[in-house]
Amino acid sequence: MSKNNGKGAKGEFEFPQPAKKQTFSEMIYSPQDGTFFGRTGKNWGQLLLFYTIFYIVLAALFTICMQGLLSTISDTEPKWKLHESLIGTNPGLGFRPLSEQTERGSVIEFDSKKPAESDYWIELIDDFLREYNHTEGRDMKHCNFGQQKDPSDVCVVNIDSFGGCSKANSYGYKSNQPCIFLKLNKIFGWEPEVYDEAEKDMPETLKYYMKDKSPEQLKQIWVSCNGHLSKDKENFENINYYPSHGFPSYYYPFLNQQGYLSPLVAVQFISPPKGQMLDIECRAWAKNIIYSGSARDRMGSVTFQLLVD
Amino acid sequence: MALRSDYEQGRTDSYRVATVIATDDDNRTADGHYKSRRKMPAKAAKKENLDDLKQELDIDHHKISPEELYQRFQTHPENGLSHAKAKENLERDGPNALTPPKQTPEWVKFCKNLFGGFAMLLWIGAILCFVAYSIQASTSEEPADDNLYLGIVLSAVVIVTGIFSYYQESKSSKIMESFKNMVPQFATVIREGEKLTLRAEDLVLGDVVEVKFGDRIPADIRIIEARNFKVDNSSLTGESEPQSRGAEFTHENPLETKNLAFFSTNAVEGTAKGVVISCGDHTVMGRIAGLASGLDTGETPIAKEIHHFIHLITGVAVFLGVTFFVIAFILGYHWLDAVIFLIGIIVANVPEGLLATVTVCLTLTAKRMASKNCLVKNLEAVETLGSTSTICSDKTGTLTQNRMTVAHMWFDNQIIEADTTEDQSGVQYDRTSPGFKALSRIATLCNRAEFKGGQEGVPILKKEVSGDASEAALLKCMELALGDVMNIRKRNKKIAEVPFNSTNKYQVSIHETEDSNDPRYLLVMKGAPERILERCSTIFINGKEKVLDEEMKEAFNNAYMELGGLGERVLGFCDFMLPSDKYPSGYKFNTDDINFPIDNLRFVGLMSMIDPPRAAVPDAVAKCRSAGIKVIMVTGDHPITAKAIAKSVGIISEGNETVEDIAQRLNIPISEVNPREAKAAVVHGAELRDVSSEQLDEILRYHTEIVFARTSPQQKLIIVEGCQRMGAIVAVTGDGVNDSPALKKADIGVAMGIAGSDVSKQAADMILLDDNFASIVTGVEEGRLIFDNLKKSIAYTLTSNIPEISPFLAFILCDIPLPLGTVTILCIDLGTDMIPAISLAYEQAESDIMKRQPRDPYRDNLVNRRLISMAYGQIGMIQAAAGFFVYFVIMAENGFLPKKLFGIRKMWDSKAVNDLTDSYGQEWTYRDRKTLEYTCHTAFFISIVVVQWADLIICKTRRNSIFQQGMRNWALNFGLVFETVLAAFLSYCPGMEKGLRMYPLKLVWWFPAIPFALAIFIYDETRRFYLRRNPGGWLEQETYY
Repeated sequence: MSKNNGKGAKGEFEFPQPAKKQTFSEMIYSPQDGTFFGRTGKNWGQLLLFYTIFYIVLAALFTICMQGLLSTISDTEPKWKLHESLIGTNPGLGFRPLSEQTERGSVIEFDSKKPAESDYWIELIDDFLREYNHTEGRDMKHCNFGQQKDPSDVCVVNIDSFGGCSKANSYGYKSNQPCIFLKLNKIFGWEPEVYDEAEKDMPETLKYYMKDKSPEQLKQIWVSCNGHLSKDKENFENINYYPSHGFPSYYYPFLNQQGYLSPLVAVQFISPPKGQMLDIECRAWAKNIIYSGSARDRMGSVTFQLLVD
Repeated sequence: MALRSDYEQGRTDSYRVATVIATDDDNRTADGHYKSRRKMPAKAAKKENLDDLKQELDIDHHKISPEELYQRFQTHPENGLSHAKAKENLERDGPNALTPPKQTPEWVKFCKNLFGGFAMLLWIGAILCFVAYSIQASTSEEPADDNLYLGIVLSAVVIVTGIFSYYQESKSSKIMESFKNMVPQFATVIREGEKLTLRAEDLVLGDVVEVKFGDRIPADIRIIEARNFKVDNSSLTGESEPQSRGAEFTHENPLETKNLAFFSTNAVEGTAKGVVISCGDHTVMGRIAGLASGLDTGETPIAKEIHHFIHLITGVAVFLGVTFFVIAFILGYHWLDAVIFLIGIIVANVPEGLLATVTVCLTLTAKRMASKNCLVKNLEAVETLGSTSTICSDKTGTLTQNRMTVAHMWFDNQIIEADTTEDQSGVQYDRTSPGFKALSRIATLCNRAEFKGGQEGVPILKKEVSGDASEAALLKCMELALGDVMNIRKRNKKIAEVPFNSTNKYQVSIHETEDSNDPRYLLVMKGAPERILERCSTIFINGKEKVLDEEMKEAFNNAYMELGGLGERVLGFCDFMLPSDKYPSGYKFNTDDINFPIDNLRFVGLMSMIDPPRAAVPDAVAKCRSAGIKVIMVTGDHPITAKAIAKSVGIISEGNETVEDIAQRLNIPISEVNPREAKAAVVHGAELRDVSSEQLDEILRYHTEIVFARTSPQQKLIIVEGCQRMGAIVAVTGDGVNDSPALKKADIGVAMGIAGSDVSKQAADMILLDDNFASIVTGVEEGRLIFDNLKKSIAYTLTSNIPEISPFLAFILCDIPLPLGTVTILCIDLGTDMIPAISLAYEQAESDIMKRQPRDPYRDNLVNRRLISMAYGQIGMIQAAAGFFVYFVIMAENGFLPKKLFGIRKMWDSKAVNDLTDSYGQEWTYRDRKTLEYTCHTAFFISIVVVQWADLIICKTRRNSIFQQGMRNWALNFGLVFETVLAAFLSYCPGMEKGLRMYPLKLVWWFPAIPFALAIFIYDETRRFYLRRNPGGWLEQETYY
């Protein structure tokens, strides 16, 4: 049997053979096939063209869908509101100053002897209050308890009534009496159902505060701060609330009005212990604010830590 | 001598013409080649691993004189060994049993399942989770336990899938145990002059054993006494006929000499006494079994494909993971965050459920095959048969019925075809002619075979018969033609009989006739046709007795040659009515000193027998052909018979000639024929012995239709290796121990369930329960189907990887809140995707898969570039778009417009920020926005389910339209419903928000993904439309996976 006898005589069974081993450089560029990474230039071009067209069409589809979505969405009010929306009907509390460095978490730590540290927080509060300061040219109203108010009206938040928490006083950060500003989260269309009289869960100071208020003045969402996890309560004896012990209800509802500003409560800690982390929990009191203090499921409240060195 | 006479009659080839070899076996076949398989001249050492087999030739126990033998083993022919010596030998040599093949310890198997495949990657993910958690736990007071949960879930996933695949594996290996012959073998041994019955394992060298018919030979023995002793060596040598054994040394070759009988062969007739000369693994059988288990089998093709795939996916996962780990660092993330990204990317990249899916798919196919009589021992072998490009099939029992059947008769000067089909649906012939009557009378009476008792309900052809195979064939043929043979014999009482012996080559008996008016005795004779003819002077034609002239002899010769040329075993029949005057009633016939005429008889006819092919085999072979599979016959039988069977089943197709055929047609010497012109080849084992591997390659390459006859186990192995060298994936069928090395070496060894020996079943990957070649075709079909369907299943599963990874990438690169969490990814991979992916295993073939060529194991991979390109680059991208769209819808409708989301991630994920402002000035607490985020995860998850509906439907077909394929796969339809119900359950079941962080969705949030699902469907239908319109076009080259 000779091997040289032409190709025509080949049998019908040609078994597949393994591909020729390629060196690494041949894999990148093979001169004999003219291929880069196993494809010729033309081949790459075709593939590129195919995928370009494919992704353009896909992007167009996505854009059309997004346009469809945006056309169903208003600029001024969210599509789903209150209980229909995932934000729900239970506003939480926010506090300032809040470091923009998220890894610092909710710890407010400073040494009043070191200007740089206290200035950091003062500056954050300044930034926060800037909006409240520059209200010129806005259509705002000085609201009062008992006064009738249009839903679209925006009430002024008076930042001159913060007492010991005024800017002039450096918000207490220079005098080891730091102020924390609390605000209730805005929820579109949410209106409070206030407590007309003191609840038994309320801290004594709040109960005492509410005692001599007129029924009109009781229309507030009350705020109280206390030691979290009921430890070191003795450190929370000396707390001042400015301008009042709560958020007046005439600020609500929030309807994404132009220039709307959240009412604030400044909480001043008169005698925080030095070098000891204070774990503070502030909660809002209203009939329709459900409170939960658990770490995983916090509602109607906020926690932060104060550390004065 | 029959063989000589063949030559004298000018035959080009030879074949056996009588039931028993006329002379002492000279160990040569008709054409003068050595018949022996192992007795190869010592020079032909071809492969080192075959040396083992040859070593067995070194023994000389059969050559030495009996006295020397007793001396050597310190034994005695009458008294046997002493108990003390037996005990000593047992302690020295160990029990007389084959060492079972080395088993991998169970715990190693378990660990392989626990750490193999993707498991390692997931373990790394789990460990990273635990590390991240413990660091978080040590640094903060209230650590988020997400990482702890995820770590536990990942470990659970790995362990559960590990246990699952271990369970599957052990289940299939248990199949094997059911085949083990658990009945202990006993042997009769003489020790200290006493006959003892011992367990075969307790035999030692030098023991004197007694063996009788029906026994299994307990060890290799040298026979010292024998009475009519015959052994069935078929499982060892492939010789289908029982071999007679006696005390005399007849041949140098231990396998050919008559005074040796071998371990695990069966005694079929007579009794013998012998001395044990080797035990256990040292026996011939033990050596072959050892050789088989020593062969390296390599990975199955599907295992290669899966490894290839795992490497690919692992590579992508590690590449992406590390890249984004580094990117995260560069972007200034905390290293712990970077680790969490890494975990997320690994989890998203690894198709956790896929290996389990593949296992289940293979199991389903294995079950389906088992119901069609293909029992799969090794799950992966399910697919191997589908990749097979060459089948080396044994003849006896696989292609044929392994049942001698009368195929033709010659009487009244014409050849009549008998029915050889299994169900007797074939030809009918005239049963009333005097010629047939005379012939059938001889065949009925001159026949010692009888049906065994207790087989009333069994069809005649399947009844067991005691006696010689040819006589059994005649008995069955007559029973079919005439009815109750035993009754006929009773009516024609046998007076005297000369049984068959190798010197006479005939059998004769004398009967009373059933005609009570006729006092004459009837003499009937059958035997080797030419011997019978010699004894005849007249011939019975068309009811008349004619003188046997030259013309009639010529007619006889033609018929004889024609039948012989068909590979059939021919017997001649004659009779004679003894004249009543010379042989009156009561005449004493003497069979030792013959006192009646055995010459000048009346010749009646010929009957020829063959082991006919199974009815379904020609069709099966044709199917293999059209499926591009080369079918090679490798048999121990004679070339003529092999060729005849090969022709009748289509292994050598009509019109194809061998070199010999061409030479005969052109009337030129064989050496002048160009071998390339012959498409078919019949290669004799003796020729094969002298060819080099290059020459063998040429035979395999240039002949499309090959029959290897008279092959030895080594040659079977060489043939298999030759085919594999040429790049073929080889399936081997076989039943004997001699086949086991080839079975083991083959990519897939197929053993016979009924006729197969234990050793062959041990070596095989698959067992044909009905011994039928046609079942292999089913196997091929199922194997090809599962390969296609696995592709579909993998394409389906991999597609959802893109919508799983892309949220992480967007999270890192665009600083948006995470659109899809790791837990939801696991819900897809191990939940909603599982049943649909498995259901694709039930998909019908798109076209006739038996009409295409076997897959190219080097190029047609399970997971190829095109599949990845389709799954990742195209469908996956559409799915990701759908997921992101739903994410943006929910975010926007709740207040976070898309542009607000970019860059918000840090604030979003900070627990300290309890008042994050959205696009409408609303402020979100940490809790509320996490609820929003997890709702987005759920919605992203559900949108993946929605687009996976479309993906599942497009994955049903690779080329056809779904409108051609239909939706008749009810498992798949169930899968569609199942994934939807599961997704709804995960979303709406109360408590899920605590456990899996899945939140109930508004109904409208199911819909945003639908346009994308439609897009997938329309895109792929269009793509496949062009694929069908332009076969081989660019789109096919780039996207047909």
